[in-house]
Amino acid sequence: MNAVEIQHLTYTYPGAEKPTLNNLSLTVEQGDFLAIVGNNGCGKSTLCKVLNGLIPHFITGEFEGLVTVDGQDTLSADVGELARKVGYVYQDFENQIVRPTVLDDASYACLNYACPDYKDRGRRALAQCGLEGREEEYVWQLSGGQTHLLALAGAVSLQPGILILDEPIAQLDPMHADRIYEVLRDLNQNHGKTIIVIEHHTEYIADYCKNVLLLKDGQVQWKLPTEKALQRVDELEGCNIFPPQVTQAGRLLQKRGLLAEDACLPTTVEAGAACFSALPFHLPVTRPAPAASEAAEAVKFENIQLRYRSVKGEARTIFDGLNLTVRQGERVALIGSNGAGKSTLMKLMVGLLRPAEGQVSLLGQPVGDRRAEELGRLISLVYQNPEEMFIKDSIRADIAYAMQVRGVPDWQTRCDELLARFRLTELADRDGRLLSGGQMRRASLAIGVALNPAILLLDEPTANLDIATRREILGVLEEMKDVIHTAIIATHDMQLVCQWADRIIVLCQGQVIADGPRDEIFARQDVIDRVGIRPPEIFAMARRLDPAARCYTVNDFVNAFKEAE
Amino acid sequence: MLNKLSENILDKFSMDFLRNQVLKNAYGNDDTPIAALDPRVLLVWYLFFGLVPWFVNDLPFLLGCFVLVTITTLLAKVAGLVLFLFGLGVFSQTGYLFLVTLLFGGDASAVAPLLVLTLKVATISLASITVFSGLDPDRLSNGLMWFGCPERLSFSISYAYRMLPMLMEEFQNVLLSFRLRGNPPAHESLWGKIRYLAYQIKVVIWAFYPLMLNTAKRSRTTVEALELRGYRYAAVNKEVKKIKLSTLQVRYDDWLFLAISALWVCLTVFVSTLL
Repeated sequence: MNAVEIQHLTYTYPGAEKPTLNNLSLTVEQGDFLAIVGNNGCGKSTLCKVLNGLIPHFITGEFEGLVTVDGQDTLSADVGELARKVGYVYQDFENQIVRPTVLDDASYACLNYACPDYKDRGRRALAQCGLEGREEEYVWQLSGGQTHLLALAGAVSLQPGILILDEPIAQLDPMHADRIYEVLRDLNQNHGKTIIVIEHHTEYIADYCKNVLLLKDGQVQWKLPTEKALQRVDELEGCNIFPPQVTQAGRLLQKRGLLAEDACLPTTVEAGAACFSALPFHLPVTRPAPAASEAAEAVKFENIQLRYRSVKGEARTIFDGLNLTVRQGERVALIGSNGAGKSTLMKLMVGLLRPAEGQVSLLGQPVGDRRAEELGRLISLVYQNPEEMFIKDSIRADIAYAMQVRGVPDWQTRCDELLARFRLTELADRDGRLLSGGQMRRASLAIGVALNPAILLLDEPTANLDIATRREILGVLEEMKDVIHTAIIATHDMQLVCQWADRIIVLCQGQVIADGPRDEIFARQDVIDRVGIRPPEIFAMARRLDPAARCYTVNDFVNAFKEAE
Repeated sequence: MLNKLSENILDKFSMDFLRNQVLKNAYGNDDTPIAALDPRVLLVWYLFFGLVPWFVNDLPFLLGCFVLVTITTLLAKVAGLVLFLFGLGVFSQTGYLFLVTLLFGGDASAVAPLLVLTLKVATISLASITVFSGLDPDRLSNGLMWFGCPERLSFSISYAYRMLPMLMEEFQNVLLSFRLRGNPPAHESLWGKIRYLAYQIKVVIWAFYPLMLNTAKRSRTTVEALELRGYRYAAVNKEVKKIKLSTLQVRYDDWLFLAISALWVCLTVFVSTLL
């Protein structure tokens, strides 16, 4: 029996003019591991909400067509019945957790559906999701990755046959992301669950998924086995989905005539090794590492001690004698696993947190001595969560606010310039919260640079973004180089790190365990193992061909072949 | 020096501190003797100590009750902020009257009636603190449910505690946005300080608008998730209520607690008849 069957489904949200899903037909076999890909706003999340019955039972609208899940027509079943067939994990999964302790939350649904053995079911789900031993912990003690696993356990506890996850790894570091996918693979292979993920990290699709479904404008473009699907490089790129870097490289080599036009493109490093090893690979000339900067200090941490109060027992030490200097003109990437202290470091720089001991200085003067008005011109922080930067009721007002209250001359003109630069002019009068993810991120950047700060801090600027928006954000950073002298980015996104940063600082449990240019960091296996960072796939690919290779972008890699001619 | 001190106090009173205290109050003391008691027993106990002192004016009895609830409050390891608010509350109710009486030439004769009133207020407040802060929200709401309070109320109590820390963190970040982008008035002179205070209050008010909208946005997911996880089912299903309440159990310790309390009250009544 098929897990999901959809015939001619057309769905329009209440008040919308055009249908979001348009005459969509689809079958998903039992035991599939399916990735749904597609442009922003192509109806991926809507499709998933159709499967668990939220549409049309909870969210109304015009619904036409037949949807059967596990043999059950969703129109005639109610949400509760469907919840036992389909588990759903939201993209903003932390809002899905409603109970204070781990076991409570995992067993909550079972309790509500009156299963007398609800605690055992909760325990079983936690074990399936790799959270055993944490039953009694409070939910705010969990890291981001563990919280996601808990949300998954909450969905698994009713033992549904189908699990749907909306962008499961968007906010996670690579180690936690691997963990999630390992758990999903286990559920798929050993517990017979059908898994559907909305995902745009194609590296993970290549490694874990069996089939790929491309949605475009509310219709199924195709559904193909992963191997075949990822071959369609041009089509995917047309929908703003970027195939794995190895596949992109293969496609470029095809275009340059180095690979046969009908050759099967590799999708993983393994396959790439087989495919590319026949070609001549010459090490690209490595640029000498830039000499250590001698410019004046932009930020200086001296002997920082910081502890967080904890609910119970001893305070947790975050930094114990941290020393760090960032010089003017540097482009610094701050990396490390979730909870390594990256955001805390940023909060120290803007003076939100004060160290118990030690001192943070900006351009040679302690942060605490600076007046707020001055601080705003010196340093700016763009939060991970853009919503928290919207303090006015329109984007224009938000961008203008800091300039307006400081009486910056011509603030209106400057505001218009910023709106134009970030392509927000059309959206200027809307509330920031109502924009799409990419638009919100652009708006938050515009707010962040409004005062032309000397130092710009960005916390996870590319999290939750599709690849096109990501590229755009990178472009903006590049353009702003002349204005912003020093920039520090905290991120898990290694492609961003490789393309942009000239200095990488690796934090681990509040300590700087490595600090240097990318060649130095990514060559250190001990650091990579300890922190669980992972260089971009193309870097691993090149090293597979030649252990001394240092390729950070697809173009670097492809050029290594070109020089052989 | 004074400057340092005031800065220090402000530092201590940050949102971070508030958040920590709320959590501590709700969940930080689940291993105390009070938290281990059956919530129904505690609620019955509270019925006595929360009501009776209003109607009794006997000093030894009130003193006795006060001592008892002080002990239970200490046993419950209540968070510092709550105790501070308690102190402030009692003082603003009656304590200041006492000071004013002394200031305007009142003497010890004025003290006795005020002391009675203060003791009443303090005893009742401490009894409330013991019950509502010593128990974790879930046990409390289960206890309330047993006495017939609607399921929605008990869910709200535990959900509010789950949400509060998130709300406070969000509020803190919104306030930080104002701090980084705003331009507060200079506050060196006295007039500047007053204007600065007014500015701070205004910022807190402004910050509510984004906070509410962000919360509304978040709760969209929560509402859908609750639906999927059967919240509405449970609200009407008697079976679920039975399962939930089956975890409640009156044990030896509970009887002991009630017995000691009763004995103590008898003792104070006895002492007061002797005097």
